[in-house]
Amino acid sequence: MSDTTTNSSVARTLSATTGEPVEVTGARDKLGVWMIIVSCTTGTIALLVSYAYLWSLNVNGAWAPTPGHANWAPVWPFWVIFTVMFIATLIMWNGYRGLRNGKVGGMKSAALLSSLLLLAAFVGQIVQIATFPFGPADGGYASAALWLAIANAIWLFMAVFLATAIFNRTRAGRVTPENPSHARLVAMFLTYLCVAAFLGCVFTTVMQDSPNTNSPPFGTFSQ
Amino acid sequence: MSTAVAIHEEAHVPQPTQVGKPGGFLRRTNFLTALISGVVTAGVFWIVTDKITTAVAGAGATNSMALPSGLNINITMMYIGWVIGFMAGIGAFAGPIRWFLGHDLTHADAEYMAGKDMGREKFWKFTTDHKVVGIQYLVVTLILFGFGGLLAMLIRTELGATWTEVFNPNFYNSIIGTHGIVMVIAMIIVISGPIGNFIVPIMCGARDMAFPRLNALSIWLLIAAVPPLVSNLLMGGIRDGWTVYQPLADQAPIGMIGYQICIITFAFSTGIASVNLITTIVRMRAAGMTWSRTPILVYGILGSSIMGLVWFPMYQYSQILALSDRTLLTSFFVPASGGSVWLYENLFWLLGHPEVYVIVIPATAGMLEYLPVFVRKPLFSYRLAVAGIFGVVGLSAVVWVHHMYMTGWAPQSNYPFMLSTEMISIPFSFLVLVVLGTMWRGKPWKRLPMMAVYAVVWNKVIGGITGVFLSDTPVDQYMHGSMFVVAHFHYMLMGAGLFGAMGVTAYFFPKMIGRYLDEFWGSVGFWTAFAGFQVTFMSMFVAGLQGMPRRVLQFDSLFNVSNWISTIGAYIIGIGMLIFLYAIIESWRNGILAPDNPWGGKTLENFTTTPVPHENFPVLPVVTSGPYDFGTPDPYELADDAIMQQTEGAEKVSAQS
Repeated sequence: MSDTTTNSSVARTLSATTGEPVEVTGARDKLGVWMIIVSCTTGTIALLVSYAYLWSLNVNGAWAPTPGHANWAPVWPFWVIFTVMFIATLIMWNGYRGLRNGKVGGMKSAALLSSLLLLAAFVGQIVQIATFPFGPADGGYASAALWLAIANAIWLFMAVFLATAIFNRTRAGRVTPENPSHARLVAMFLTYLCVAAFLGCVFTTVMQDSPNTNSPPFGTFSQ
Repeated sequence: MSTAVAIHEEAHVPQPTQVGKPGGFLRRTNFLTALISGVVTAGVFWIVTDKITTAVAGAGATNSMALPSGLNINITMMYIGWVIGFMAGIGAFAGPIRWFLGHDLTHADAEYMAGKDMGREKFWKFTTDHKVVGIQYLVVTLILFGFGGLLAMLIRTELGATWTEVFNPNFYNSIIGTHGIVMVIAMIIVISGPIGNFIVPIMCGARDMAFPRLNALSIWLLIAAVPPLVSNLLMGGIRDGWTVYQPLADQAPIGMIGYQICIITFAFSTGIASVNLITTIVRMRAAGMTWSRTPILVYGILGSSIMGLVWFPMYQYSQILALSDRTLLTSFFVPASGGSVWLYENLFWLLGHPEVYVIVIPATAGMLEYLPVFVRKPLFSYRLAVAGIFGVVGLSAVVWVHHMYMTGWAPQSNYPFMLSTEMISIPFSFLVLVVLGTMWRGKPWKRLPMMAVYAVVWNKVIGGITGVFLSDTPVDQYMHGSMFVVAHFHYMLMGAGLFGAMGVTAYFFPKMIGRYLDEFWGSVGFWTAFAGFQVTFMSMFVAGLQGMPRRVLQFDSLFNVSNWISTIGAYIIGIGMLIFLYAIIESWRNGILAPDNPWGGKTLENFTTTPVPHENFPVLPVVTSGPYDFGTPDPYELADDAIMQQTEGAEKVSAQS
């Protein structure tokens, strides 16, 4: 996106599209990504609140999966997927740090490795969803756990896109030591995804049996 | 307010290699290609989904994740296909794909996408220029108001014709729900869309929004969101009001899916627009435009964007999960299988109530913006106005439960939320006080925007006071679900929001269009609508106090008179709005040409030419003073001093003689 020009005594890297210094456009992009993270956080809170709410109420005693599918989802796949995401994020940050020190090759390798790990996590997430020991209609837990997993799958799909884009852009000379901001922004976003995934892991691990073991009947409101 | 100097020296910016003509793929996309692509993709999604669900069901698949077949999932996928296809057809994905591949826009690409030297064609394309997006928002808003207003006329016709049934009950309920949500969407965008996009960047002294491509994305997502909503009327309708409470919505006809897809898409549009506006305001204000020199409208748009950004995802997720309940048979809101209707209501109202402030704050801030221009006085207590705006923004997070007093959810929380709701009237009162303080001892210039201020203060006081009543838990137990509530929120949303927006639009119309809004026909339309509004909703207050419930088709003859009066008032509003629309269209075509500074204002948009040039300013401005430095020092104080001096002088002369 940028090229270096020596307009005055100090060399400045300018955005090709707007002609502004890349620090200016970078600061703007950074705030924009922070705002997107704020918005996404509200969405994540909506899902977590839904999970905790249904868990605590145990409406009509239907929180747990129905007797035919009485198993909770195994928690280890959630944690494995989170761990892979976490490692991919660390690698991306490491690549960015190297890029700032002039190691373009390191950034390329980090972005490639990160995108491959995120792809593996995405595939793992799909496999986990397809092998849940319950169906979506099997009560409150099934619904809430399924949507935490679906949301994570959507985020991982996006994360693969972003990490691969950083690989492509570094190869094309768009992400450079003089203009590394896009790599940083993607690493920031991956960090947010890790936090969201971690909270999902904690909820699905800690909140299984509802504390409301003697819930009153709420009625079905059926037609 | 400003002196213009060059900030950036002319510099040669080395460009990426230009491949092909500037704009590339976007040269071939427009509204028509978007429509075709949307319809075709919707059809493909329908056919493929139908094949898959049929195959899964036909194969006798019994694994737990088998897709539920049926109309719900087919319709859902068809609408998703529509949105994806429409956005692909307008060219929205070209940017992300280029970015992914490492092919950045050249300056020539960016200029093409901004519609430079393009003519009217740019209004039908994925154009990134904020001024084009502002005009697109204005037109879309007018269309939505036209549609929502037509539905309002149908509602009032039904309620006014007490001797017969004009529509069947299901269709009547559908037009109630559709009217509500169409008007809510239109009101959310009426200031932030046209004025926020067109005026705010110029007012900040910027060349464009922070993210021009996201700007185009937000308007085209909005346009993509509308057909699913409107099509609900052909598919059983939205029979549960705009709130679409569960589990009624889960049991509703398939038209409900159109509502849900619309809200999910619209929430993306609003989120993107909010990110863009906040970043533009925080990062792109002109040199010298400190926070204490930032125009109050900019604060209003900032506050509104913050609320939209933070709270809209709650509403969006409520609809995503509701859609999931319909299509994947999950049970977030279905009590029979572990879901909770209270969960839906909490998620819904977490945006549902702040949305009122998303609507009213920009309209109020817009009026505060031009009020000093029309009384030629500084804005009274600028800091109180800012405190009022952000007081409302802060308290908007803790008021949603007052919509749930009567649901039985956490009764012990009713009184804390009663207190917080009544508290929010305090920062709102700050804003009214700023209006009154600015007008105090002033000699207003009696033009249409200024007249709107009087109308809005009247409406806001009535809407605000009745709101304090309704926030009171004991009173709400009687008033809940009555026409009194309907009259109250119309006083806030329409009385303060829409009439305020009409004034703000009249003020910025010359800068946006290059011609003044016709003063005579604009005023005739405005005051006709205002008079009709009072007749309609005052009478509705009476019906509510008498005990008439809302959303009913048939009612006791006790309520006949108030409903007849309300219906007559509604027709008067309709006539007034048509006259105002005529004023807009006629002025757009043949209005008096506006000078660079149409009203003698001091904010930055008045320091560039009319019509606004492609890059807004020949050189970026530097701000050296406040936006409302009219008549400082205060001419009245000067006059008082002069009189005092003259009096003292006369007394001395008298004593000497």
